[in-house]
Amino acid sequence: MALSKEMKIIFTGLALLSALALFSLLWGQYPISFEVFYAYIKEVFFGIKADETYNIELIHNIVAEIRFPRILLAILIGAALATSGAVFQAMFVNPLVSPGILGVLAGASFGAACGMLVSENWFIVQIMAFVFGFVAVGFAMFVGSIVSSSRSTIMLVLGGVISGSLFTSLLSIVKYVADPYSTLPAIVYWLMGSLSMAQLNEVLVVAIPITLSIAGMIFMSKYFDLLSLGDEEAKALGVNVNLIRIIAIVLATLASSLAVVMAGIIGWVGLIIPHIIRMAIGPSHRLLIPLSAIVGGAFLLLADAVSRLALSVEIPIGILTSLIGIPIFIIVLKNARAAWN
Amino acid sequence: MELKPIIKVENLHFGYKKQDVLKGVDLELYKGEVVSLLGPNGCGKSTLMKLMLKLLDTKASISLNGKSLKEYSHKEISGHIAYIPQYHNVPFNYSVIEMVVMGRISKLGFFATPSAKDYKIAREALKRAGILELEERPFGQLSGGQKQLVLLARAIAQEVNIFFMDEPVNGLDYGNQIRLLELIDSLAKDGYTFLKTTHYPDHALLISSRIVVMDRGIIIEDGSPEDVIHSKMITDVYGIKAEIITHDEHKRCVPIFR
Repeated sequence: MALSKEMKIIFTGLALLSALALFSLLWGQYPISFEVFYAYIKEVFFGIKADETYNIELIHNIVAEIRFPRILLAILIGAALATSGAVFQAMFVNPLVSPGILGVLAGASFGAACGMLVSENWFIVQIMAFVFGFVAVGFAMFVGSIVSSSRSTIMLVLGGVISGSLFTSLLSIVKYVADPYSTLPAIVYWLMGSLSMAQLNEVLVVAIPITLSIAGMIFMSKYFDLLSLGDEEAKALGVNVNLIRIIAIVLATLASSLAVVMAGIIGWVGLIIPHIIRMAIGPSHRLLIPLSAIVGGAFLLLADAVSRLALSVEIPIGILTSLIGIPIFIIVLKNARAAWN
Repeated sequence: MELKPIIKVENLHFGYKKQDVLKGVDLELYKGEVVSLLGPNGCGKSTLMKLMLKLLDTKASISLNGKSLKEYSHKEISGHIAYIPQYHNVPFNYSVIEMVVMGRISKLGFFATPSAKDYKIAREALKRAGILELEERPFGQLSGGQKQLVLLARAIAQEVNIFFMDEPVNGLDYGNQIRLLELIDSLAKDGYTFLKTTHYPDHALLISSRIVVMDRGIIIEDGSPEDVIHSKMITDVYGIKAEIITHDEHKRCVPIFR
């Protein structure tokens, strides 16, 4: 069976992402040649003993312990943030929202910080992040709705700004009461957004729920086209609007909250990636959602590579995505009127 | 054998918060009819249409094919009736073919994506509406008339034979208004049933098999176009004078300018 145009684009994207991932696996402070990597793969997967001079143990350390978890995490987080951004934009029929703007990132970071304060248990931290991420979206929607009863683009954005500042202030309280010698530095450094702490087992644990929520959002993507027409029209076309909206908001909040738990606040990805894709290939969500995952993953992987390699000191990736994201968003705003009418 | 109505509305009362919009409406719609709902702004005709599509909640008795509307899901209703809203802007600028394929949504499984067959049906619908050449154009860049035709094509792609249209000619230029009415007339001859709201008694006369006139939340006239549209009704409902003339076998409603 011939592949549809959509599948071709998605497979091309996946191939490019894999190539990029392989490249970042080999490139770094200690570059690994293809030859050495090939020998390493043969030894690990097929038990073929490699040449002694290749120092396979060191290669294994670098690849499996340091670079692979970090690359996997970068892709997961980029994919989670960009996909959630695209889904929030569809759910609220509002091209200006993202996990950051709706306050989800602030809410999740407040939840995660509280979790760190009360418990060492990573699972509790994740649950707290998700719960407060969800509370933050709810609060943004509530503020947006009390100010204006009809669905208003600007009011929801303002609601998100208010919700975001509320949880940022609450987070400051947590920081204020945190132990200045252990918990506080941990919270502050984590919030700046970094992938450098990636541990393989932790990454794998969070990979499952993130991948599942992204997959869920991709499977639901055909409904997002309908929901963006407005509730009445979507219902008349036979869509269970409330169910789809709730599932989608839960999945998007879950994915972006977990991204916060793993790497702190990484802004702008969720806002700009969907816009870039819309400008490139159009607004249909059946392509926009999977491509947001792929391009978001690739974007963060690239940003992380820059943050590792460009300077001798490592820049926290959250700072870097803001620095890259802001000029891109200005360009997007200038050109985007065509993309959202 | 007595003909059974497709949709039956009985003693329907409905209001938003403190304001009563509908005050006891009875209406039946039969297969093959082209019914025009006529009435001034705020008389409740759009609300009535939305209630009949279950887009607004009500406890009142509305039945579809003899079964209460409450027992239908939106998906099931969309398998009987297509709703064609007034054309509007969408925040994301989908292409025309994507807009029309959206009419296929209720036919797809939860995980399925539209197939080549769905696209084929969508193209045929565009062809029926006479706008196949617009297929790849962005919806947002079309004229009002073209947008309205795309929404009509989407309803055709839904593969149902009852169409509800909310003020279809609103915002269209003069030529497109008449062309749209001609298309509705031609679809009606193919066997589609229409319920449409309109502001224009003259348009109602042109293509309706039955006209229902609403004023302040009640139905004041319900019958054949010749019986319903008369000078006194126009004066009562709209507060202006009009003359009903016959032109080329058609009754026409001509307002009299002071």
